[in-house]
Amino acid sequence: MPRILSARTGPRRTGYALVLGLVTTCAYYARNDRFVFKSINQFVKVLTSVPLFLGLDLYSPTLCNMFFFRAYRGMHRDRLVGLADDLFEVTLKPSIYTHSEALVRQTRKLGYRTVLVTGALDFTVRPIALHLGVDDVICNRLEFKKHIATGRVLAPLVAETAKATIIMAYAELENLDLNACCAFSDSTSDIPMLTATGNPVATNPTRRLRRFAKGKQWPIISLSGSDQADDFNPFPPFLGSGPQAMEATQTPI
Amino acid sequence: MSDEGQLSSWRFDPVQGQYVPTDTRRPRGTGEISAIDQFRSKTILLLGGTGFVGKVLLAMMLDRFPELRHLIIQVRPKKNVSGEQRFLNEILKSPPLQAIVERIGVDSIRHRTSIVEGDLSAPMCGIRAEQLAALTDTVDVVINSAGLVEFDPPLNESLITNVYGIQNLIELVQVLDAKLVHISTCYVGGKKSGRIPEDTPIVGYYPGREGPEDRRFDVTRELEWCEQFIGETEDKILLRDGGMERAEHWGWINTYTYAKSMGEQLIARTEGLKYCIVRPAIVESSLAFPFPGWNEGMTTSAPLVLMGGEGVKAWPVRKDGSLEIIPVDLIAAGILIATAAVLADRGETVYHLATAADNPIMLPRLVGFLGTNSRYKHKHKTSGNKLANVWKAYVETEVVSVSQLAASRKRVRWGLDLIQATFNFLKVILGSRIMNSYLRNLRITRRQLRQQEQTLDKFLPFMVHNSFIFETGNIRRAYNLLTPKDQERLQWTPEDIDWADYWVNIHTKGIERWIRPMFAKQMKALEQSINIPVS
Repeated sequence: MPRILSARTGPRRTGYALVLGLVTTCAYYARNDRFVFKSINQFVKVLTSVPLFLGLDLYSPTLCNMFFFRAYRGMHRDRLVGLADDLFEVTLKPSIYTHSEALVRQTRKLGYRTVLVTGALDFTVRPIALHLGVDDVICNRLEFKKHIATGRVLAPLVAETAKATIIMAYAELENLDLNACCAFSDSTSDIPMLTATGNPVATNPTRRLRRFAKGKQWPIISLSGSDQADDFNPFPPFLGSGPQAMEATQTPI
Repeated sequence: MSDEGQLSSWRFDPVQGQYVPTDTRRPRGTGEISAIDQFRSKTILLLGGTGFVGKVLLAMMLDRFPELRHLIIQVRPKKNVSGEQRFLNEILKSPPLQAIVERIGVDSIRHRTSIVEGDLSAPMCGIRAEQLAALTDTVDVVINSAGLVEFDPPLNESLITNVYGIQNLIELVQVLDAKLVHISTCYVGGKKSGRIPEDTPIVGYYPGREGPEDRRFDVTRELEWCEQFIGETEDKILLRDGGMERAEHWGWINTYTYAKSMGEQLIARTEGLKYCIVRPAIVESSLAFPFPGWNEGMTTSAPLVLMGGEGVKAWPVRKDGSLEIIPVDLIAAGILIATAAVLADRGETVYHLATAADNPIMLPRLVGFLGTNSRYKHKHKTSGNKLANVWKAYVETEVVSVSQLAASRKRVRWGLDLIQATFNFLKVILGSRIMNSYLRNLRITRRQLRQQEQTLDKFLPFMVHNSFIFETGNIRRAYNLLTPKDQERLQWTPEDIDWADYWVNIHTKGIERWIRPMFAKQMKALEQSINIPVS
């Protein structure tokens, strides 16, 4: 079972993708409350807040995050934990890239410790971490009082750039050499984290990150499976590539 | 998550229901008792190593105490299978031991253990004379976790293991000149509510006892009554009902706790015996050791979780009550703490191993968890009746009173009678070929409902009639006397159990994985046993 660490990182995505991803998750919890009227009330509140979140996200993703988690206020932790597996099956599992598991397997096979660094909440991340088979998770946690969410996130609320600080602290604690580590991300907000490791990899990158990665000569990979362009490569060169590497990851460790 | 590393700034405090900083320091053990030193210099004889608790206890001793001097495990031989073979092929290959075997190797285990054949129900627990001679003056402590844990077995069966077996055990311990750690149950207290202390006198106890002067219950007299009753009764059902009635007459909740209490009394009244009685509450899936979610057998709350998974919606529970459940690895740790204390001559007479005194899980919360499990299972189920799946997935579980439950049962029965009458009428018109399958399904449904009702009724003393909180001061004090090194190996920390995570992610999944297949087999056998002749 992966360890879930409470140090917080910035969101993995930026812009609309971040907002819509968070809204989908929260909306799921809101519309699945134990009590019908509470459920309707919470769901409507989440939906009507979307324009505000979009506007805030353009101004400051951190501020958007802070405001966004207020939508969880009043929800019981038992319910959030109890529904996490269903949320995973319904919403999250279908959006996991085809080759993600193979990538995790390959890195573990080569002796890497895999750490999932995400701005999502602990109970939401748990099934993803188990599905992918990662070793550790660094994620957000909601604040609760008597098992009821207050709508705040536990400090320290880390902005995008803080992800680098977090993994540095993690590496120091676990006695890891960051130069020997690799980092995967799709977003420009994760550039500080990517830069902090010796082997950054742009993974299904946004246009801006692709441009940046090309400039830095970072490997660019696609895990979506649908990307069959000439430069398609499921893994970066240092992990092995091409069909042999893919075959090697077919059997779970 | 139990192991969060130092990077975590927060840990969830399940009692307060909020995150607290991880740097909150806990008091360290005083080191007045060293479990490591005790186990390094003493030989242990374990009885009941094949049971649910016994296997985890065995695994914990082998895994956590490489210093262990010697462990002798009593195994009951089966037809054509020796105790040694059972140990190698059954116990060491069982899931909780497999991981330990892989980690430390069979040779290391064989080096530190030996097997004796025996049976609790035989004199000297069935240990042969030559082996007994070899064990005398060798064994320092006997841990007995053998027992029949069925709630309402025929009275004679319950007495064989839980009472007469204890007489044999006492003889054995006296011959070996050893100390005794006996595993009983918290529920020997009987029908009571509120805080149950650990210092209630054992000899002459019955739940309705009015004080030490009340000598109405005497275990010798009671056994005479039992023997007479058993001698006059041949029918198994009458023996079952008679046991339950006798237990209830004195104020116990079932035959199991009645027999267990008599076993305790036999131990407590034996002059010169150095012993302690460890009383676990309802033992559930492991929290972390040997791996999260290990469970075995259709005992404890497994039937309730399975029923919840089947879509039962109305649960008769006390809104202000807690369920005294405890993971099996905490039980194993508690037994070893008590054993170390007894070996160091610092033992108490009784150790309750329970959670509600430190960290209660309230019953309405459990009803909510049962609902989310049913929701997940039936929402993603591809087989079965679609409408039923939708109902089981989306209708929420609810807390009901006993009278509401009785009324709802009446309505369901009335509805099923109506459906059956309709089917019988249609059978006359359409013929039995068409209608027999419907009638068969209806009969299966009826039988399943009856089984559910019976199971639920067995649990009413724990969920409705009484609200127990077992005091656990003795085990807490013993834990505080250990060395910090011992405390790393034997953690008594019920206050850390995050019940939401435990019930949803560990216990329910453990039952679905380890118990559900057995339950499904039973259900299939039940369905196959129902035949409606084509007439």
